[in-house]
Amino acid sequence: MNYNLLAPEILLTLLALVIVILGLLMRDVSKNMLGYVSAAGLFASIVYVLGNGMNEMGSYFYDSLVIDPLSQIFKLIFLIVSLIVVIASIEYFRDNRSQDEYYALLLLATVGMMVVASANDLVALFVGFELASMSTYVLAGFEKKNPSSLEAALKYFIIGSLSSALMLFGMSLVYGITGSTNIPAIIEFFKSNPMVATSSLDIIAMIFLVAGFGFKMALVPFHMWAPDTYEGSPGVVSSLLAAGSKKMGFVAAFRVLVLALVAIRIDIQMTFAILAIITMTYGNIVAISQRSIKRMLAYSSIAQAGYISLAFVVMTQMSIAGGILLALGHALMKGGAFLAVALVGYMVLSDNKNAKNTDDLGNFAGLGKRAPITAFSLFVFFLALAGIPPSAGFVGKFVLFYSITIEAINQASSWLLLVVIIAILNSALSIYYYARVIKYMYVLPPNGEKIREPAPYVVAILLAVIGTIGIGLYPEPFIQMAMNAAKVLGV
Amino acid sequence: MSLYTYLFISAVIFTIGSYGIITQRSGIKILMCIELLLNSANLNLVAFSSFNGNATGQVFAIFSIAIAAAEAAIGFAILVALFRVRDTINLDDINILRW
Repeated sequence: MNYNLLAPEILLTLLALVIVILGLLMRDVSKNMLGYVSAAGLFASIVYVLGNGMNEMGSYFYDSLVIDPLSQIFKLIFLIVSLIVVIASIEYFRDNRSQDEYYALLLLATVGMMVVASANDLVALFVGFELASMSTYVLAGFEKKNPSSLEAALKYFIIGSLSSALMLFGMSLVYGITGSTNIPAIIEFFKSNPMVATSSLDIIAMIFLVAGFGFKMALVPFHMWAPDTYEGSPGVVSSLLAAGSKKMGFVAAFRVLVLALVAIRIDIQMTFAILAIITMTYGNIVAISQRSIKRMLAYSSIAQAGYISLAFVVMTQMSIAGGILLALGHALMKGGAFLAVALVGYMVLSDNKNAKNTDDLGNFAGLGKRAPITAFSLFVFFLALAGIPPSAGFVGKFVLFYSITIEAINQASSWLLLVVIIAILNSALSIYYYARVIKYMYVLPPNGEKIREPAPYVVAILLAVIGTIGIGLYPEPFIQMAMNAAKVLGV
Repeated sequence: MSLYTYLFISAVIFTIGSYGIITQRSGIKILMCIELLLNSANLNLVAFSSFNGNATGQVFAIFSIAIAAAEAAIGFAILVALFRVRDTINLDDINILRW
Protein backbone atom coordinates (compact mmCIF):
# COMPACT_ATOMS: atom_id res chain seq x y z
CA MET A 1 0.00 0.00 0.00
CA ASN A 2 1.20 3.46 -0.87
CA TYR A 3 1.11 5.87 2.06
CA ASN A 4 2.38 8.87 0.08
CA LEU A 5 -0.74 10.91 0.52
CA LEU A 6 -0.82 10.35 4.28
CA ALA A 7 2.80 11.43 4.70
CA PRO A 8 1.95 14.78 6.37
CA GLU A 9 -0.08 13.07 9.12
CA ILE A 10 2.57 10.40 9.66
CA LEU A 11 5.37 12.98 9.71
CA LEU A 12 3.60 15.20 12.24
CA THR A 13 2.66 12.31 14.54
CA LEU A 14 6.23 11.04 14.60
CA LEU A 15 7.53 14.56 15.12
CA ALA A 16 5.21 15.04 18.10
CA LEU A 17 6.42 11.81 19.71
CA VAL A 18 10.06 12.66 19.03
CA ILE A 19 9.57 16.10 20.59
CA VAL A 20 8.11 14.57 23.77
CA ILE A 21 11.08 12.21 24.09
CA LEU A 22 13.62 14.93 23.24
CA GLY A 23 11.99 17.15 25.85
CA LEU A 24 12.78 14.58 28.53
CA LEU A 25 16.44 14.48 27.56
CA MET A 26 17.08 18.16 26.87
CA ARG A 27 18.13 20.88 29.23
CA ASP A 28 15.56 23.66 29.68
CA VAL A 29 17.62 26.30 27.85
CA SER A 30 17.92 24.28 24.67
CA LYS A 31 14.17 23.64 24.47
CA ASN A 32 13.74 26.91 22.57
CA MET A 33 14.84 25.13 19.38
CA LEU A 34 11.82 22.78 19.49
CA GLY A 35 9.66 25.58 18.11
CA TYR A 36 11.84 25.82 15.02
CA VAL A 37 11.75 22.02 14.62
CA SER A 38 7.92 21.98 14.75
CA ALA A 39 7.73 24.91 12.32
CA ALA A 40 10.02 23.05 9.93
CA GLY A 41 7.85 19.92 10.17
CA LEU A 42 4.67 21.89 9.49
CA PHE A 43 6.29 23.73 6.60
CA ALA A 44 7.44 20.42 5.09
CA SER A 45 3.88 19.09 5.40
CA ILE A 46 2.45 22.15 3.62
CA VAL A 47 4.97 21.73 0.81
CA TYR A 48 4.06 18.06 0.63
CA VAL A 49 0.30 18.67 0.46
CA LEU A 50 0.79 21.31 -2.23
CA GLY A 51 3.30 19.13 -4.07
CA ASN A 52 0.84 16.23 -4.16
CA GLY A 53 -1.63 18.52 -5.85
CA MET A 54 -5.03 19.42 -4.58
CA ASN A 55 -6.92 16.98 -6.76
CA GLU A 56 -5.45 13.69 -5.57
CA MET A 57 -7.82 10.88 -4.66
CA GLY A 58 -7.07 7.99 -2.35
CA SER A 59 -8.60 5.72 0.23
CA TYR A 60 -6.86 4.17 3.22
CA PHE A 61 -7.43 1.72 6.06
CA TYR A 62 -10.50 -0.10 4.73
CA ASP A 63 -11.94 3.14 3.40
CA SER A 64 -11.94 4.86 6.78
CA LEU A 65 -9.75 7.75 5.59
CA VAL A 66 -10.09 9.29 2.15
CA ILE A 67 -8.01 11.87 0.35
CA ASP A 68 -9.96 14.15 -1.97
CA PRO A 69 -9.96 17.87 -2.84
CA LEU A 70 -12.18 18.64 0.18
CA SER A 71 -9.81 16.99 2.63
CA GLN A 72 -6.76 18.55 0.95
CA ILE A 73 -8.02 22.13 1.18
CA PHE A 74 -8.98 21.76 4.84
CA LYS A 75 -5.67 20.07 5.62
CA LEU A 76 -3.99 23.06 4.07
CA ILE A 77 -6.02 25.42 6.28
CA PHE A 78 -5.12 23.49 9.44
CA LEU A 79 -1.44 23.27 8.53
CA ILE A 80 -1.15 26.98 7.71
CA VAL A 81 -2.91 27.95 10.94
CA SER A 82 -0.65 25.69 12.99
CA LEU A 83 2.44 26.99 11.24
CA ILE A 84 1.51 30.60 11.99
CA VAL A 85 0.69 29.72 15.61
CA VAL A 86 3.94 27.80 16.08
CA ILE A 87 6.02 30.67 14.70
CA ALA A 88 4.38 33.10 17.13
CA SER A 89 4.75 30.61 20.01
CA ILE A 90 8.53 30.63 19.58
CA GLU A 91 8.41 34.05 21.22
CA TYR A 92 5.33 33.57 23.43
CA PHE A 93 6.66 30.46 25.17
CA ARG A 94 10.37 31.35 25.05
CA ASP A 95 12.21 29.94 28.11
CA ASN A 96 9.10 28.12 29.30
CA ARG A 97 10.27 24.79 30.72
CA SER A 98 7.33 22.78 29.39
CA GLN A 99 7.65 23.97 25.80
CA ASP A 100 8.21 20.41 24.57
CA GLU A 101 4.74 19.38 25.74
CA TYR A 102 3.24 22.50 24.17
CA TYR A 103 4.64 21.78 20.72
CA ALA A 104 3.85 18.07 20.91
CA LEU A 105 0.21 18.78 21.86
CA LEU A 106 -0.10 21.41 19.16
CA LEU A 107 1.15 19.00 16.50
CA LEU A 108 -1.18 16.25 17.75
CA ALA A 109 -4.11 18.68 17.67
CA THR A 110 -3.21 19.45 14.05
CA VAL A 111 -3.08 15.75 13.21
CA GLY A 112 -6.49 15.28 14.84
CA MET A 113 -7.98 18.05 12.73
CA MET A 114 -6.42 16.57 9.59
CA VAL A 115 -7.88 13.16 10.41
CA VAL A 116 -11.33 14.75 10.76
CA ALA A 117 -10.82 16.47 7.40
CA SER A 118 -10.27 13.15 5.64
CA ALA A 119 -12.50 10.91 7.78
CA ASN A 120 -14.83 8.68 5.78
CA ASP A 121 -15.99 6.59 8.72
CA LEU A 122 -17.74 7.59 11.92
CA VAL A 123 -15.07 5.85 14.03
CA ALA A 124 -12.27 7.80 12.36
CA LEU A 125 -14.29 10.99 12.64
CA PHE A 126 -14.85 10.50 16.37
CA VAL A 127 -11.24 9.56 17.10
CA GLY A 128 -9.95 12.56 15.13
CA PHE A 129 -12.35 14.90 16.89
CA GLU A 130 -11.28 13.62 20.29
CA LEU A 131 -7.57 13.78 19.48
CA ALA A 132 -7.89 17.41 18.47
CA SER A 133 -10.24 18.31 21.34
CA MET A 134 -8.22 16.70 24.09
CA SER A 135 -4.99 18.29 22.94
CA THR A 136 -6.66 21.68 22.86
CA TYR A 137 -8.22 21.23 26.35
CA VAL A 138 -4.70 20.96 27.70
CA LEU A 139 -3.38 23.80 25.54
CA ALA A 140 -6.16 26.13 26.77
CA GLY A 141 -5.05 25.54 30.35
CA PHE A 142 -1.37 25.66 29.56
CA GLU A 143 -0.54 28.60 31.85
CA LYS A 144 -1.15 26.53 34.94
CA LYS A 145 -0.45 29.32 37.43
CA ASN A 146 -2.97 31.61 35.75
CA PRO A 147 -6.51 31.16 37.11
CA SER A 148 -8.26 32.50 34.03
CA SER A 149 -6.38 30.14 31.73
CA LEU A 150 -7.44 27.20 33.92
CA GLU A 151 -10.99 28.44 34.08
CA ALA A 152 -11.02 28.68 30.29
CA ALA A 153 -9.72 25.11 30.10
CA LEU A 154 -12.34 23.79 32.53
CA LYS A 155 -15.23 25.44 30.72
CA TYR A 156 -13.92 24.27 27.37
CA PHE A 157 -13.43 20.75 28.74
CA ILE A 158 -16.93 20.41 30.19
CA ILE A 159 -18.73 21.77 27.13
CA GLY A 160 -16.36 19.97 24.76
CA SER A 161 -16.83 16.56 26.32
CA LEU A 162 -20.58 17.12 26.56
CA SER A 163 -20.59 17.81 22.83
CA SER A 164 -18.49 14.69 22.14
CA ALA A 165 -20.93 12.63 24.18
CA LEU A 166 -23.90 14.02 22.25
CA MET A 167 -22.10 13.33 18.99
CA LEU A 168 -21.24 9.77 20.04
CA PHE A 169 -24.84 9.13 21.05
CA GLY A 170 -26.01 10.42 17.67
CA MET A 171 -23.46 8.23 15.90
CA SER A 172 -24.58 5.18 17.87
CA LEU A 173 -28.16 5.78 16.73
CA VAL A 174 -27.05 6.25 13.11
CA TYR A 175 -25.10 2.99 13.36
CA GLY A 176 -28.14 1.26 14.81
CA ILE A 177 -30.38 2.48 11.99
CA THR A 178 -28.05 1.77 9.11
CA GLY A 179 -25.86 -1.05 10.45
CA SER A 180 -22.70 0.60 9.19
CA THR A 181 -20.27 3.30 10.23
CA ASN A 182 -18.95 4.01 6.75
CA ILE A 183 -20.29 7.41 5.64
CA PRO A 184 -20.95 6.58 1.94
CA ALA A 185 -22.66 3.34 3.02
CA ILE A 186 -24.85 5.31 5.44
CA ILE A 187 -25.84 7.79 2.73
CA GLU A 188 -26.55 4.90 0.35
CA PHE A 189 -28.78 3.27 2.96
CA PHE A 190 -30.73 6.49 3.51
CA LYS A 191 -31.21 6.92 -0.23
CA SER A 192 -32.51 3.39 -0.75
CA ASN A 193 -34.73 3.37 2.36
CA PRO A 194 -36.52 6.72 2.42
CA MET A 195 -39.04 5.37 4.94
CA VAL A 196 -36.34 4.69 7.52
CA ALA A 197 -34.56 7.91 6.70
CA THR A 198 -37.52 10.03 7.74
CA SER A 199 -38.37 8.02 10.86
CA SER A 200 -38.44 9.86 14.16
CA LEU A 201 -35.42 7.89 15.47
CA ASP A 202 -33.37 9.10 12.55
CA ILE A 203 -34.41 12.70 13.09
CA ILE A 204 -33.40 12.41 16.75
CA ALA A 205 -30.03 11.04 15.66
CA MET A 206 -29.55 13.99 13.31
CA ILE A 207 -30.45 16.45 16.08
CA PHE A 208 -27.77 14.89 18.27
CA LEU A 209 -25.22 15.19 15.46
CA VAL A 210 -26.16 18.82 14.73
CA ALA A 211 -25.80 19.62 18.44
CA GLY A 212 -22.42 17.85 18.64
CA PHE A 213 -20.99 19.64 15.61
CA GLY A 214 -22.74 22.89 16.57
CA PHE A 215 -20.77 23.07 19.82
CA LYS A 216 -17.53 22.79 17.89
CA MET A 217 -18.61 25.39 15.35
CA ALA A 218 -19.89 27.62 18.21
CA LEU A 219 -23.26 28.28 16.61
CA VAL A 220 -25.85 29.95 18.83
CA PRO A 221 -27.31 28.32 21.04
CA PHE A 222 -24.20 26.15 21.47
CA HIS A 223 -21.76 29.06 21.74
CA MET A 224 -21.51 29.77 25.51
CA TRP A 225 -18.04 28.30 25.89
CA ALA A 226 -16.36 30.20 23.07
CA PRO A 227 -15.97 33.73 24.49
CA ASP A 228 -14.80 32.50 27.89
CA THR A 229 -12.35 30.04 26.40
CA TYR A 230 -10.92 32.45 23.84
CA GLU A 231 -10.53 35.17 26.45
CA GLY A 232 -8.88 33.04 29.12
CA SER A 233 -6.54 30.88 27.03
CA PRO A 234 -3.01 32.00 26.19
CA GLY A 235 -3.18 34.31 23.16
CA VAL A 236 -1.55 31.94 20.70
CA VAL A 237 -3.85 29.10 21.76
CA SER A 238 -6.95 31.28 21.24
CA SER A 239 -5.66 31.80 17.75
CA LEU A 240 -5.42 28.03 17.18
CA LEU A 241 -8.88 27.44 18.68
CA ALA A 242 -10.64 30.15 16.68
CA ALA A 243 -8.85 29.54 13.42
CA GLY A 244 -8.30 25.77 13.48
CA SER A 245 -10.54 23.96 15.90
CA LYS A 246 -13.65 25.74 14.68
CA LYS A 247 -13.01 24.77 11.05
CA MET A 248 -12.84 21.16 12.19
CA GLY A 249 -16.52 21.38 13.12
CA PHE A 250 -17.28 22.79 9.69
CA VAL A 251 -15.44 20.13 7.72
CA ALA A 252 -17.18 17.40 9.76
CA ALA A 253 -20.52 19.08 9.10
CA PHE A 254 -19.75 19.30 5.37
CA ARG A 255 -18.82 15.63 5.27
CA VAL A 256 -21.64 14.15 7.33
CA LEU A 257 -24.52 16.57 7.75
CA VAL A 258 -24.73 17.95 4.24
CA LEU A 259 -24.84 14.47 2.74
CA ALA A 260 -27.09 12.93 5.36
CA LEU A 261 -29.55 15.79 5.31
CA VAL A 262 -29.70 15.82 1.51
CA ALA A 263 -30.35 12.10 1.58
CA ILE A 264 -33.08 12.45 4.18
CA ARG A 265 -34.76 15.24 2.20
CA ILE A 266 -36.27 16.94 5.22
CA ASP A 267 -36.95 20.58 4.66
CA ILE A 268 -34.00 21.95 6.58
CA GLN A 269 -33.46 25.18 4.66
CA MET A 270 -35.56 27.16 7.11
CA THR A 271 -33.95 25.58 10.18
CA PHE A 272 -30.42 26.39 9.10
CA ALA A 273 -31.39 29.85 7.86
CA ILE A 274 -32.85 30.72 11.28
CA LEU A 275 -29.85 29.21 13.08
CA ALA A 276 -27.42 31.16 10.88
CA ILE A 277 -29.27 34.47 11.22
CA ILE A 278 -29.59 34.18 15.00
CA THR A 279 -25.92 33.26 15.26
CA MET A 280 -24.60 36.18 13.20
CA THR A 281 -26.92 38.77 14.72
CA TYR A 282 -26.24 37.66 18.29
CA GLY A 283 -22.47 37.57 17.70
CA ASN A 284 -22.38 41.04 16.16
CA ILE A 285 -24.65 42.70 18.69
CA VAL A 286 -22.87 41.30 21.74
CA ALA A 287 -19.47 42.11 20.22
CA ILE A 288 -20.37 45.82 20.19
CA SER A 289 -20.50 46.05 23.99
CA GLN A 290 -17.15 44.34 24.68
CA ARG A 291 -14.13 46.15 26.08
CA SER A 292 -11.90 43.08 26.03
CA ILE A 293 -10.63 42.74 22.48
CA LYS A 294 -10.18 38.98 22.74
CA ARG A 295 -13.81 38.69 23.78
CA MET A 296 -14.87 40.98 20.96
CA LEU A 297 -12.97 38.79 18.49
CA ALA A 298 -14.62 35.71 20.02
CA TYR A 299 -18.10 37.14 19.43
CA SER A 300 -17.16 38.27 15.94
CA SER A 301 -15.94 34.72 15.39
CA ILE A 302 -19.40 33.48 16.38
CA ALA A 303 -20.85 35.90 13.83
CA GLN A 304 -18.50 34.55 11.16
CA ALA A 305 -19.62 31.01 12.01
CA GLY A 306 -23.12 32.29 11.27
CA TYR A 307 -22.06 33.49 7.81
CA ILE A 308 -20.27 30.22 7.05
CA SER A 309 -23.29 28.17 8.08
CA LEU A 310 -25.33 30.00 5.45
CA ALA A 311 -23.67 27.46 3.14
CA PHE A 312 -25.95 24.80 4.66
CA VAL A 313 -29.06 26.79 3.78
CA VAL A 314 -29.12 26.33 0.04
CA MET A 315 -26.49 23.57 -0.30
CA THR A 316 -25.59 24.21 -3.91
CA GLN A 317 -22.07 23.51 -5.07
CA MET A 318 -21.34 27.22 -5.19
CA SER A 319 -22.64 27.97 -1.72
CA ILE A 320 -20.52 25.18 -0.24
CA ALA A 321 -17.53 26.56 -2.14
CA GLY A 322 -18.32 29.97 -0.64
CA GLY A 323 -18.46 28.44 2.82
CA ILE A 324 -15.07 26.79 2.29
CA LEU A 325 -13.55 30.05 0.98
CA LEU A 326 -14.89 31.99 3.95
CA ALA A 327 -13.55 29.30 6.28
CA LEU A 328 -10.12 29.64 4.64
CA GLY A 329 -10.23 33.41 4.87
CA HIS A 330 -11.53 33.37 8.43
CA ALA A 331 -8.70 31.05 9.49
CA LEU A 332 -6.12 33.57 8.26
CA MET A 333 -7.87 36.75 9.44
CA LYS A 334 -8.94 35.54 12.84
CA GLY A 335 -5.73 33.62 13.51
CA GLY A 336 -3.72 36.71 12.66
CA ALA A 337 -5.95 39.02 14.68
CA PHE A 338 -5.66 36.88 17.82
CA LEU A 339 -1.87 36.79 17.40
CA ALA A 340 -1.75 40.57 17.08
CA VAL A 341 -3.80 40.87 20.27
CA ALA A 342 -1.41 38.44 21.97
CA LEU A 343 1.45 40.72 20.90
CA VAL A 344 -0.29 43.72 22.44
CA GLY A 345 -0.67 41.71 25.65
CA TYR A 346 3.05 40.94 25.54
CA MET A 347 3.75 44.63 25.08
CA VAL A 348 1.57 45.62 28.06
CA LEU A 349 3.21 42.99 30.24
CA SER A 350 6.66 44.28 29.33
CA ASP A 351 5.56 47.76 30.49
CA ASN A 352 4.16 46.47 33.75
CA LYS A 353 4.70 42.92 35.01
CA ASN A 354 1.46 42.76 37.03
CA ALA A 355 -0.91 44.28 34.47
CA LYS A 356 -4.44 42.84 34.48
CA ASN A 357 -6.75 42.68 31.45
CA THR A 358 -3.93 42.96 28.95
CA ASP A 359 -6.39 42.92 26.04
CA ASP A 360 -8.46 45.86 27.27
CA LEU A 361 -9.45 48.39 24.61
CA GLY A 362 -7.53 51.15 26.43
CA ASN A 363 -4.24 49.35 25.77
CA PHE A 364 -4.77 49.78 22.03
CA ALA A 365 -4.64 53.57 22.25
CA GLY A 366 -2.01 54.94 19.90
CA LEU A 367 -0.90 51.49 18.83
CA GLY A 368 -0.20 52.91 15.37
CA LYS A 369 2.73 54.84 16.88
CA ARG A 370 3.84 52.26 19.45
CA ALA A 371 3.86 49.18 17.25
CA PRO A 372 3.28 50.17 13.63
CA ILE A 373 3.44 46.68 12.07
CA THR A 374 1.00 45.16 14.55
CA ALA A 375 -1.39 48.08 14.23
CA PHE A 376 -1.34 47.93 10.44
CA SER A 377 -1.92 44.15 10.46
CA LEU A 378 -4.84 44.50 12.86
CA PHE A 379 -6.22 47.20 10.56
CA VAL A 380 -6.03 44.78 7.60
CA PHE A 381 -7.57 41.89 9.58
CA PHE A 382 -10.44 44.02 10.85
CA LEU A 383 -11.29 45.37 7.41
CA ALA A 384 -11.06 41.83 6.01
CA LEU A 385 -13.33 40.48 8.77
CA ALA A 386 -15.84 43.20 7.94
CA GLY A 387 -15.70 42.02 4.33
CA ILE A 388 -14.08 44.97 2.60
CA PRO A 389 -12.25 44.24 -0.70
CA PRO A 390 -9.59 43.29 -1.61
CA SER A 391 -9.39 40.65 1.09
CA ALA A 392 -10.08 36.97 1.70
CA GLY A 393 -13.10 37.91 3.79
CA PHE A 394 -14.63 39.79 0.87
CA VAL A 395 -14.09 36.94 -1.60
CA GLY A 396 -15.64 34.37 0.72
CA LYS A 397 -18.65 36.49 1.59
CA PHE A 398 -19.15 37.53 -2.03
CA VAL A 399 -19.24 33.96 -3.38
CA LEU A 400 -21.46 32.82 -0.51
CA PHE A 401 -24.00 35.64 -0.71
CA TYR A 402 -24.00 35.54 -4.51
CA SER A 403 -24.78 31.81 -4.52
CA ILE A 404 -27.71 32.33 -2.17
CA THR A 405 -29.04 35.21 -4.27
CA ILE A 406 -28.93 33.03 -7.40
CA GLU A 407 -30.76 30.28 -5.57
CA ALA A 408 -33.32 32.80 -4.30
CA ILE A 409 -33.98 33.93 -7.87
CA ASN A 410 -34.15 30.34 -9.13
CA GLN A 411 -36.62 29.31 -6.46
CA ALA A 412 -38.37 32.69 -6.65
CA SER A 413 -38.37 32.74 -2.86
CA SER A 414 -38.39 36.12 -1.20
CA TRP A 415 -37.33 34.87 2.22
CA LEU A 416 -33.98 33.59 0.88
CA LEU A 417 -33.39 37.09 -0.45
CA LEU A 418 -34.26 38.42 2.98
CA VAL A 419 -31.63 36.09 4.48
CA VAL A 420 -28.98 37.60 2.20
CA ILE A 421 -30.06 41.14 3.07
CA ILE A 422 -29.89 40.39 6.81
CA ALA A 423 -26.42 38.90 6.33
CA ILE A 424 -25.20 42.00 4.47
CA LEU A 425 -26.69 44.30 7.11
CA ASN A 426 -24.86 42.24 9.71
CA SER A 427 -21.58 42.78 7.87
CA ALA A 428 -22.27 46.49 7.97
CA LEU A 429 -23.04 46.34 11.68
CA SER A 430 -19.73 44.61 12.37
CA ILE A 431 -17.81 47.54 10.86
CA TYR A 432 -18.90 49.59 13.88
CA TYR A 433 -16.93 47.67 16.48
CA TYR A 434 -13.94 47.10 14.22
CA ALA A 435 -13.79 50.82 13.41
CA ARG A 436 -13.85 51.64 17.11
CA VAL A 437 -10.63 49.68 17.66
CA ILE A 438 -9.10 51.27 14.55
CA LYS A 439 -9.94 54.69 15.98
CA TYR A 440 -8.21 53.76 19.24
CA MET A 441 -5.14 52.59 17.33
CA TYR A 442 -4.69 55.52 14.99
CA VAL A 443 -6.49 58.55 16.42
CA LEU A 444 -6.00 58.46 20.17
CA PRO A 445 -2.62 59.48 21.66
CA PRO A 446 -0.28 56.64 22.74
CA ASN A 447 0.13 55.90 26.46
CA GLY A 448 3.71 54.67 26.31
CA GLU A 449 6.76 54.84 24.05
CA LYS A 450 7.45 52.79 20.93
CA ILE A 451 8.32 49.16 21.58
CA ARG A 452 10.32 46.54 19.78
CA GLU A 453 8.06 44.01 18.06
CA PRO A 454 9.63 40.53 18.43
CA ALA A 455 10.64 39.04 15.07
CA PRO A 456 8.75 35.69 15.32
CA TYR A 457 5.46 37.49 16.00
CA VAL A 458 6.03 39.85 13.11
CA VAL A 459 6.78 36.96 10.73
CA ALA A 460 3.67 35.06 11.81
CA ILE A 461 1.38 38.08 11.58
CA LEU A 462 2.77 39.18 8.24
CA LEU A 463 2.23 35.67 6.84
CA ALA A 464 -1.43 35.99 7.77
CA VAL A 465 -1.61 39.48 6.25
CA ILE A 466 -0.07 38.28 2.99
CA GLY A 467 -2.52 35.38 2.87
CA THR A 468 -5.50 37.62 3.58
CA ILE A 469 -4.64 40.20 0.94
CA GLY A 470 -3.25 37.63 -1.51
CA ILE A 471 -6.52 35.71 -1.67
CA GLY A 472 -8.34 39.01 -2.10
CA LEU A 473 -6.17 40.19 -5.01
CA TYR A 474 -5.87 36.89 -6.82
CA PRO A 475 -8.93 34.78 -5.91
CA GLU A 476 -9.33 32.60 -9.04
CA PRO A 477 -7.16 29.60 -8.02
CA PHE A 478 -8.72 29.56 -4.56
CA ILE A 479 -12.27 29.74 -5.92
CA GLN A 480 -11.36 26.92 -8.30
CA MET A 481 -9.94 24.88 -5.40
CA ALA A 482 -13.07 25.43 -3.31
CA MET A 483 -15.30 24.52 -6.25
CA ASN A 484 -13.40 21.26 -6.76
CA ALA A 485 -13.73 20.52 -3.06
CA ALA A 486 -17.46 21.18 -3.12
CA LYS A 487 -17.85 18.96 -6.19
CA VAL A 488 -16.69 15.98 -4.11
CA LEU A 489 -19.81 16.21 -2.00
CA GLY A 490 -21.90 15.81 -5.14
CA VAL A 491 -24.78 18.00 -3.94
CA MET B 1 -34.36 -9.19 26.45
CA SER B 2 -35.32 -7.27 23.35
CA LEU B 3 -33.38 -4.46 21.71
CA TYR B 4 -35.86 -1.98 23.13
CA THR B 5 -34.93 -2.88 26.70
CA TYR B 6 -31.32 -1.97 26.03
CA LEU B 7 -32.24 1.21 24.23
CA PHE B 8 -34.56 2.14 27.08
CA ILE B 9 -31.83 1.59 29.68
CA SER B 10 -29.35 3.59 27.65
CA ALA B 11 -31.84 6.43 27.24
CA VAL B 12 -32.41 6.44 31.01
CA ILE B 13 -28.65 6.57 31.67
CA PHE B 14 -28.31 9.38 29.14
CA THR B 15 -31.06 11.36 30.83
CA ILE B 16 -29.53 10.90 34.28
CA GLY B 17 -26.18 12.10 32.88
CA SER B 18 -27.57 15.21 31.25
CA TYR B 19 -29.70 16.02 34.31
CA GLY B 20 -26.57 15.74 36.43
CA ILE B 21 -24.54 18.05 34.19
CA ILE B 22 -27.26 20.68 34.44
CA THR B 23 -27.84 20.48 38.21
CA GLN B 24 -24.53 19.50 39.81
CA ARG B 25 -22.03 22.16 40.93
CA SER B 26 -19.02 20.00 41.79
CA GLY B 27 -16.42 19.43 39.08
CA ILE B 28 -16.00 15.76 40.00
CA LYS B 29 -19.70 15.03 39.79
CA ILE B 30 -19.84 16.68 36.37
CA LEU B 31 -17.02 14.41 35.20
CA MET B 32 -18.99 11.40 36.45
CA CYS B 33 -22.05 12.58 34.53
CA ILE B 34 -20.02 12.93 31.34
CA GLU B 35 -18.88 9.33 31.81
CA LEU B 36 -22.54 8.30 32.12
CA LEU B 37 -23.33 10.02 28.82
CA LEU B 38 -20.45 8.32 27.02
CA ASN B 39 -21.33 4.93 28.48
CA SER B 40 -24.96 5.20 27.48
CA ALA B 41 -23.74 5.65 23.91
CA ASN B 42 -21.46 2.62 24.33
CA LEU B 43 -24.37 0.51 25.55
CA ASN B 44 -26.30 1.58 22.46
CA LEU B 45 -23.42 0.64 20.19
CA VAL B 46 -22.97 -2.81 21.71
CA ALA B 47 -26.70 -3.54 21.74
CA PHE B 48 -27.07 -2.53 18.09
CA SER B 49 -23.96 -4.47 17.18
CA SER B 50 -25.30 -7.62 18.77
CA PHE B 51 -28.75 -7.28 17.17
CA ASN B 52 -27.44 -6.25 13.75
CA GLY B 53 -25.01 -9.15 13.83
CA ASN B 54 -21.94 -7.16 12.81
CA ALA B 55 -18.95 -6.36 14.96
CA THR B 56 -18.31 -2.74 13.94
CA GLY B 57 -20.31 -1.39 16.86
CA GLN B 58 -18.29 -3.34 19.41
CA VAL B 59 -15.04 -2.08 17.89
CA PHE B 60 -16.44 1.45 18.04
CA ALA B 61 -17.36 0.90 21.71
CA ILE B 62 -13.81 -0.21 22.53
CA PHE B 63 -12.41 2.90 20.85
CA SER B 64 -14.79 5.11 22.74
CA ILE B 65 -13.99 3.45 26.10
CA ALA B 66 -10.30 4.13 25.54
CA ILE B 67 -11.07 7.73 24.59
CA ALA B 68 -13.32 8.19 27.63
CA ALA B 69 -10.44 7.07 29.86
CA ALA B 70 -8.11 9.64 28.31
CA GLU B 71 -10.79 12.28 28.62
CA ALA B 72 -11.30 11.56 32.32
CA ALA B 73 -7.54 11.78 32.91
CA ILE B 74 -7.40 15.22 31.29
CA GLY B 75 -10.48 16.36 33.18
CA PHE B 76 -9.01 15.39 36.53
CA ALA B 77 -5.69 17.01 35.61
CA ILE B 78 -7.44 20.29 34.85
CA LEU B 79 -9.41 20.06 38.11
CA VAL B 80 -6.25 19.38 40.14
CA ALA B 81 -4.44 22.33 38.54
CA LEU B 82 -7.46 24.54 39.22
CA PHE B 83 -7.68 23.37 42.84
CA ARG B 84 -4.02 24.27 43.40
CA VAL B 85 -4.60 27.83 42.21
CA ARG B 86 -8.10 28.53 43.48
CA ASP B 87 -8.64 26.04 46.37
CA THR B 88 -12.05 25.14 44.99
CA ILE B 89 -13.61 23.05 42.24
CA ASN B 90 -17.12 24.30 42.86
CA LEU B 91 -18.30 25.61 39.52
CA ASP B 92 -20.22 28.48 41.13
CA ASP B 93 -16.92 29.95 42.30
CA ILE B 94 -15.25 29.61 38.90
CA ASN B 95 -16.41 32.94 37.56
CA ILE B 96 -13.52 35.22 36.61
CA LEU B 97 -14.47 35.16 32.95
CA ARG B 98 -17.81 36.70 32.24
CA TRP B 99 -19.20 39.60 30.33
